[in-house]
Order: sequence, then structure tokens, then C-alpha cells
Amino acid sequence: MLFNSIDFFLFLFFIFTIHWSVFCRKKSQENLIILIASYLFYSFWDWRFLFLIIASTLFDYFIGLYIYSVDSKKKRKIALLSSIIFNLGILGFFKYFNFFIDSWVDLLLTIGYTGQNTSTLQIILPVGISFYTFQTMSYTIDVYRNKISPTKDLIAFATFVSFFPQLVAGPIEKASNLLPQIIKKRVFNYKQSTDGLRLILWGLFKKVAIADALSPIVDDIFTNYANYSASTLVIGAFLFSFQMYGDFSGYSDIAIGTAKLFGIELMSNFKFPNFSRNVAEHWQRWHISLTGWFKEYLYIPLGGSRGNTIKSIRNIIIIFLISGLWHGANWTFLIWGALHAVFYISVFLAKKNRTYSNSIVAQNSLFPSIVEIAQIIFTFSLVSFARIFFRSKSTTDAFLYIKQFFSRFEFEIYQHPLGYRMIDYFILIILFVIYEFRIRKDEREPFKFKSKAVRFIAYTLVIFGLLLFFDDQVDKSFIYFQF
Amino acid sequence: MKKLIFKCCVYFFAIIICLEILTRIFYLAKDNPSRFLDDKKVEKWVPNQQGFSVTGNRRQNFSAYRINKFGFNSYREFTPSKDKMEIALVGDSFIEGFHQNYYNSIGKKIELILPQINVYEFGYAGYDFADQLHLINSYKEMFDLIDITIIGLDFNTDLNRAEYNVINERLASETFVKKLLKKSKLIVYTKEMGIFDIPRKLISKISIALLINKKEHLSSTLRKVSINKNAKNIKNFKSLVAKYNYNKDKFILLLDRTKTPDHFLSYLKLNNYNYIEFGISLKNAKKPTTLIYDQHWNNYGRELISKTIVDYLKNR
Repeated sequence: MLFNSIDFFLFLFFIFTIHWSVFCRKKSQENLIILIASYLFYSFWDWRFLFLIIASTLFDYFIGLYIYSVDSKKKRKIALLSSIIFNLGILGFFKYFNFFIDSWVDLLLTIGYTGQNTSTLQIILPVGISFYTFQTMSYTIDVYRNKISPTKDLIAFATFVSFFPQLVAGPIEKASNLLPQIIKKRVFNYKQSTDGLRLILWGLFKKVAIADALSPIVDDIFTNYANYSASTLVIGAFLFSFQMYGDFSGYSDIAIGTAKLFGIELMSNFKFPNFSRNVAEHWQRWHISLTGWFKEYLYIPLGGSRGNTIKSIRNIIIIFLISGLWHGANWTFLIWGALHAVFYISVFLAKKNRTYSNSIVAQNSLFPSIVEIAQIIFTFSLVSFARIFFRSKSTTDAFLYIKQFFSRFEFEIYQHPLGYRMIDYFILIILFVIYEFRIRKDEREPFKFKSKAVRFIAYTLVIFGLLLFFDDQVDKSFIYFQF
Repeated sequence: MKKLIFKCCVYFFAIIICLEILTRIFYLAKDNPSRFLDDKKVEKWVPNQQGFSVTGNRRQNFSAYRINKFGFNSYREFTPSKDKMEIALVGDSFIEGFHQNYYNSIGKKIELILPQINVYEFGYAGYDFADQLHLINSYKEMFDLIDITIIGLDFNTDLNRAEYNVINERLASETFVKKLLKKSKLIVYTKEMGIFDIPRKLISKISIALLINKKEHLSSTLRKVSINKNAKNIKNFKSLVAKYNYNKDKFILLLDRTKTPDHFLSYLKLNNYNYIEFGISLKNAKKPTTLIYDQHWNNYGRELISKTIVDYLKNR
């Protein structure tokens, strides 16, 4: 069930209505209905993999209680390790088994071994597995670190693991943020609900009018890159950046908005990354929940940037390579991660990695300065370049894409694969960037206008944009569902 | 919660009104001409209407239409006489041509190449062979004055019935409620974009799930239907030409070679039916011959069709 489908909105309306009209009297009932809805939501994709979520839930529930109950440091450590091995084991088997077997076979072939039996298992990747396994791991790690006490309420814990708005593509919540909200009794809040509806509308616009509308163009350019010249390949890489942003941040907005309808505040996952002034700022604004997870549970335990420069660089490389691998079992993601490591290290060595930690572009002015514009364009170009690897089916394709850019370094007028006017899309992107710049200070309030009339006009124009760029024929699935 | 639902409803209606205004300002929805059944039981457009046909959700194709006094989309009135050379083009939406300016129709293109000929276009969306022959027969005096009548025929879709009767479903769009709904440009626009197909697909998805056991039975029935279809279509063709005294000297069929079964073409040849084939020229075209949003011919497609007709007439 996709967030941008009528099925989901009917489902949401039904669950929202019965949640607040029938099941809101008791906390346990509230969580039970959300849990049932979450399992139902996941079953629409494939009910068989529900057992994986249930297994992960039960294992970490009991491990959490066990860690809390024993005093022995050794026993606590063993319990934590068993949780990590269990979750990473599930993830490794479903996500990386074929990748490692294939890579091993490739290695054997390159050294001359020509074995006959090189088939791998046909394993389906369960939707959302990378997200909920990380979420449950954060719970046991936080219990181990005594940051939170484990919950005895199994229904509440199961709801935390499988909360349907963020189950399949995040944001990856830390237990310390989400679990207390699930445990306490929630009351209907009018403002929170309207904020949620606004975020859903904005997310829907980003998904339908930006990501889905650009998808046929990006697909065409990345599939037929050998036929195109440099100017078209640049358009392909840039538009993929917008498609990916629209797709993933649109999903996150709908998830956050949906959670708000049930009285739950999820963390922000995107803070206008397209306005980043360097790659370090980009990573403070892009997929924040995953970056935060890696920072807290991997980068800091490794020593972070506290040691000498060599150690810090080593940690940065590890983080980005693992981040690449998290996205998928493919060398393209590893190279994508490695490129970002290189970009980040150069910013780190220049001691600029924290320069923009607490500010947004044009913080106290109406327009960005020329320098800021140049920084944004440069950062966006670097990020888009790395995404050529992210989008390509194989490393060979990615390198050929780049090679084609240099070998046919010329300008051509690109025609939409379905014959539509390309100018429409360029106008759309320009207006989208201008609007995002207007709202850049608060990612959770996309319709923050003092005047009610202006806000109403904004709603109308956003819905009008949705209608203008809606296309029933395109593939509507979310890119990050594959991770 | 009541306040939320109430406000949502208020906003919903206010936004709908604004979207209706925006749709009108940008002329995003097509105009719908009215249809009627004349005293000879021929379905036509109500005469003397004008408007614009719009395709695509960002007005990718925008063209004017003009319904003449006789009730068909044409830049000219139909005034056949014995002293002029006239051709009638009878067909469905491809001949009707709401997708291109009425002044740039197939008929007009033929007239530009052969200025001594007047072309009368009797195109109406959904017309099949029975409709076409019923029209020609009902206005026999008029068609007797016309020198050549070219009849568009799609073997797969135009021969589904053996006799003419009024298709009430088509005329049902003229009911009060449907006319009222058509007044809303937003409804027309969103319907064209397929927004209403989404709930329809959902319902059909549910019904398919419920009918899953009947699937096998359904597919075997479909197989049988397709085998019998060709034979049935030829039978219907024979029945219609016999009923309406098909004039083999004056009538010429216009058909797509690539979509017509060989045995039907052999049958036509064997029985001295004249026909013009056009499929190959469209297939071999180097530029697209159809519109972006639907499969109707674009300007280039129409040029090829008119050229094919002109070549045939010159060699006749």
C-alpha cells in the first residue's frame, strides 16, 4: 500500500476515525488499534514477512528486559551482542546474501576458477527491513547504555517497532524519542492534526508533482545515456537529484504528517538539503535519522573526531562506506559512499564541517549572497555527480555515463521521451526551488504564512500543481522502499 | 475532531471552487458538444456548435471544432450537387477529428491537393459500420449526389453488430445530470486525466480478488470468443451490406492493412469491394503519426492518410 494511493488514504481515514472515536478511551486500546493497523498495512505488501517483524519485536523485547534485569556487565554485553547479531543476521541474509555470494564468485572467476555451480538463492528483500532492524537495535543499545528503561508493555513495544507511518522507509526513530510517546496516553490535538494534514499535502506534492513527474525523464536518460550528449546527461543527473529528494522527503513528510494525526511527533528527516553550502551541511540535512543513527551508534563509539586526524578520517570512511552498503548490496552504493567520504574529508580537513551546523542559507536576509549561491550550486553538483553511481544499475554503467559526458561534450535540446513539453518541468523545478527557499527555516511548516488568505492560495496552487503534473501511467512506488 | 472534519469540508469545497476557476482561466478542459438523435434516427452533433478540444493535463493539444448545419465537425456546409465533384468521408473519431483544428482536417488536406474536389466529412466518435451505412441510407438523396463515398472501417471494432439500432449509452451522456456534471470544467478535466479511474481501479481490484476462482473460466471463455470473432465480423459485414444495398461502384472502404485479417481482404478482393489501405504508410513513417495522449492521428498522420486517399483517387 503506497502513501500516494487511494487505498492508503481510505485506510488512513478509517483508522484515524476509529482511533479517535472508539479506541481513544484507553491507552492500551489506542496502541492495539495502531498495532493492528500497522500489521495490516505491512500485510498489504506481503503478509509472510510479518513474521520477521514479530520475531524481531519479541527478541528485542525480551533482550531489553533481560539487559535491564541483570547486573553482570558480561551478561549484559552478551545479551546486547545477541540482539545485534540477530538483527544484522536477518538484514544480512535478506539483503546481502546474494551480493556476497556474487562478489565471491566474481573474485574466483577473476583468479581463474571456473566452477559450474554459481547460482544464488532467489531471496526477496522484505520492504522496510533496513529501517525497522535499525530501530529495534537502537532500543537494545539504549537500554544497554542505561539511556532508557525497557518497557514491559509488549503492545506498546510492538507498536514502536511497527508504527505504520514510518515502518517501511523511516524516519528511523530512536527509542528515546518514539517509545515514551507511545507509552503515554494521547489526546486529540486539533493543531497537531492540521499540521499533519499540511505536511501530508506537501509530501504528496513532492512525490506526485516532482518525483513521479520527473521519473520518465530520468529513466530515459539513465537507460539511453549512450545516445545523449553532455548537456542531456547533466539534466539527467540534476533531475535525478530532484526526483530522489521529492520521492524520499515527500515520503517522510507524509509519514510525519500521518503520525501527527495519531498524536505522535516523529523526527524530521530532511531540512532542505538542496540549499547546503558544503557536503557536511548536506549530511546534516539529508536523511537525518539515518545520519543520526550512524553518528550515535557507530561514529561516536569508534572515537568520532576526538582522536588524531588519521583516526578521524578512518572513522569518516567507515561511516560512509557502511552508509553506502546500507542502501543496497551493490558496488554502485559503495562507490557512492566512498565519493561522499572523499567530499566530506576535504571539508573536514578544511575545518568547515561544523561551520553551518546551526544555520540555514540566508539566515537573516531575504536573498542568499553570490558566494552562498555559488556554494549551493557547487555542493548540489557534487552530490548529483555522486548520485550517478546511486542511480546506475552497475558500476560499468555509471563509468560509461561519465565517459559519455566527456566524449560527447556538446549541447543538444533534450526531448521528453513521451513528447511532453520540457519547459513545463524546468518551470516546475524553478518554482519548487523558490518556494522551498521561502519556507527554508521550518521544514515542519510548509504553509507557514501569516495571512490565512495567502495560506489558502498556497494550498490551492499546490493542489493545482498536483493536478497539472499527475500522470496515471508512471510507476508510483517510492525509491527508498527498495532499501 | 468535529472541528477538524468541519474545517476540512469547508476547505475542500472552497478549494474545489478555486480549482474550477483556475481550470477555466487556463482552459484546461475540453468543451463537450451536445449530441442528438434526428428524425431519421441518426445520431449526430447538435448543429451550429463551436468550441475547443483539449488533450493532456497541461493543455498539450488545443484545437477548435465547428459543428456545421448538418451536425458534423467540418469547416464547410454540405451542399452536394450534380455539377461538382464531391467526396464523402464517413467514419468514427479519426475522421471526426476533434484532435486537430477543423480547418486542418483530412478533407481540407485532400482539397488542397485536389482543388476541384469538395470533401464532406461525416465523422462521429464511436460510429461503426452499421452507423455509417444507416447514415448513408437515411440521407440517400444527399449521398446519391456525392460522387464517391469513402467509409472508414476497423475490422476489429466496427463489425460487432449485424444491424443498426440506436446506442442509448452514447446518448445517455445527454441526460440532465450528466449535462450538469459536464458544466463543471474541473470534473471534465479530472475525468480526462484519469483521476476517476483510480477509485474505479480499486473497485475492479476488489472484484477481481472476489472473483479469483472464476478467472480460469473467464479466460477460457475469452479464448473461445476471439476464435469466433473474425467469422462473426465477416458475417455481420455481409448482413449489413446486403441490408443497405451497398454500392460497390461508389463506396470505397478505408482500412488499416496491419489490423485487418488477410482472409477478410481476400474476401473483399474476391467480391469486388474497393478499398484503400493505409496501415503500411503509417507504420513506415519516420515521425510519430499519432498524438501524445491518445492514438488519434496527429497532423502528420492526417497528411499521410490524405496523401494515401489522393494517390488512390488519382490512380482510379
